[in-house]
Amino acid sequence: MIGTVAVHQIRALRRQRILAELVGSFVGITVLAGVLGWASHRTIIGVYEESMRLLATRNLAAPPNPFLLKPKLSQLSNVVIYITLIGALVALLLGHLTVAEDDSTGIGRIIFSRAIRRGQYTLGKIVASGGVLAGSMAASFVVSVIALWIVNSSVPATRDLGRLGLFFGLSWLYLMVFTMVGMVTLLATGRRSFGLLSAMGVWLIVTFAIPQFTSGLRPSQSLNPIVDPVSTSQAFFRLTRRARPLSVAEQYKQLSAQILHTGAPESSSAAIGRLTPILVALGLLVVITFAQVARHDFSRSDSGE
Amino acid sequence: MGGPAIELSGLQHRYDTDLVLRGIDLRIDHGEVFGFLGHNGAGKTTAVNILTTLITPTGGQASVCGFDVVRQRREVTECIGYLPSEVRMYGHLTALENLEFFGRLSGLTKPRSAAKDALAFLGAADLGNSRVGSLSSGMRQRVGIAQAIAHSPRVLFLDEPTTGLDPLGVRQLRETILALNQERGMTVFMNTHLLSEVAKVCTTIGVLNRGELIYKDTIEATRERFPDEASLEDIYVRMSVVG
Repeated sequence: MIGTVAVHQIRALRRQRILAELVGSFVGITVLAGVLGWASHRTIIGVYEESMRLLATRNLAAPPNPFLLKPKLSQLSNVVIYITLIGALVALLLGHLTVAEDDSTGIGRIIFSRAIRRGQYTLGKIVASGGVLAGSMAASFVVSVIALWIVNSSVPATRDLGRLGLFFGLSWLYLMVFTMVGMVTLLATGRRSFGLLSAMGVWLIVTFAIPQFTSGLRPSQSLNPIVDPVSTSQAFFRLTRRARPLSVAEQYKQLSAQILHTGAPESSSAAIGRLTPILVALGLLVVITFAQVARHDFSRSDSGE
Repeated sequence: MGGPAIELSGLQHRYDTDLVLRGIDLRIDHGEVFGFLGHNGAGKTTAVNILTTLITPTGGQASVCGFDVVRQRREVTECIGYLPSEVRMYGHLTALENLEFFGRLSGLTKPRSAAKDALAFLGAADLGNSRVGSLSSGMRQRVGIAQAIAHSPRVLFLDEPTTGLDPLGVRQLRETILALNQERGMTVFMNTHLLSEVAKVCTTIGVLNRGELIYKDTIEATRERFPDEASLEDIYVRMSVVG
């Protein structure tokens, strides 16, 4: 039953061209990050070569090429920002669409007059959306490898490939949180437009409001992982720092920075600590989704909008 | 087949403070075509929602094919087919893809073959590869009936099946119901407003008024009981007013 629901859902998304649009969005994000990484590489190399010429005319010693000191994976650092901004929204939409049709068109009436348990249905939907996201992440991984290959004129090292795989695995977990939010908000509100609006509200809070608070109201930290500045000894900043584990978006960005070598190194226990809030959020949302589907009255939900 | 196809005993249902079903007792035997009549809001759809296990009654008991709709939900769902009012299936998928999915949910091992058989039975084999979203309401209704019968249920629930159909569609639906009842031996439970069709198709009728079953008898007995009324419509109006 779970497989039947999952396969059917993926087929429905594919037929509605949503699947292609989803995968296209994530591949687009990765390509954009790759292009930016390549442009950044070209700029730095250009500046370095110009400096070399200037230094050579003055008979001065040449410093090492700064780009060679920079970790190769950092060229894809923009993917992290795009995933928190665009990817999370796309994931919300995926979660919303996964249950929207059954709920608003009354198809749920036919489904639940069949020999299927609500738990099987829910799990099938989660497997389908997880599978779609996994496919998107796999496509992004391949595009990333190609981008790194082109930018560096060499195939990425096995170690880098492993880290890249780890990063997209982490991104999958993070995006699944938003997919579940998309499902939960629709089931809780029972209306497509209100459900989507509520989901976007959650996205705004998770992506902007909470990181602003937990990073001591430093707006730039909404987008980039930044090392703590000095003089945060005031009570307010102590409070925000303690609340930091609650910021799923911040944990994702910090963990991604660790994986892609763009942040200050941390111990593996600290990294696991950062992963925990994401796993807890996902686990809670999965439990809430099961509970919502179990109590949702599909017999009265055929009004749509 | 021992026991009734459908049995309701003191069935109640309440939405918040609104009591929509007030202790209904009803027995429908196998092989009957039962017409469930009532005004909008009388509680017909709520009764069907309970019998198809979509909602749990707040009081009383109901069984289908001898299985309790609350405690033996799985067994009930295995013996019923259900066509909701205003069928809307997955519009981007073909009729066969829709039917195959619902067939799998009913545990069919060869859902595609069963779907094709159901469409052929309804004279709609040519609709199999058409996207449901591109079909007319009459064609969609036939695909909807196909999903309800593809797994050969013993009891078929039809909720306002004539909604949105033109006269030809209504006639085809009537012939389909009769064929399902006579050729496949299905018990049919039909919520409807269309009294002319009830007279032509149903063997028994029940009238629901404000959540109470105010009348239940065979069509013949009903006509004998109300000899002065010209049509079933007149009988229905009289019963509703008296009720």
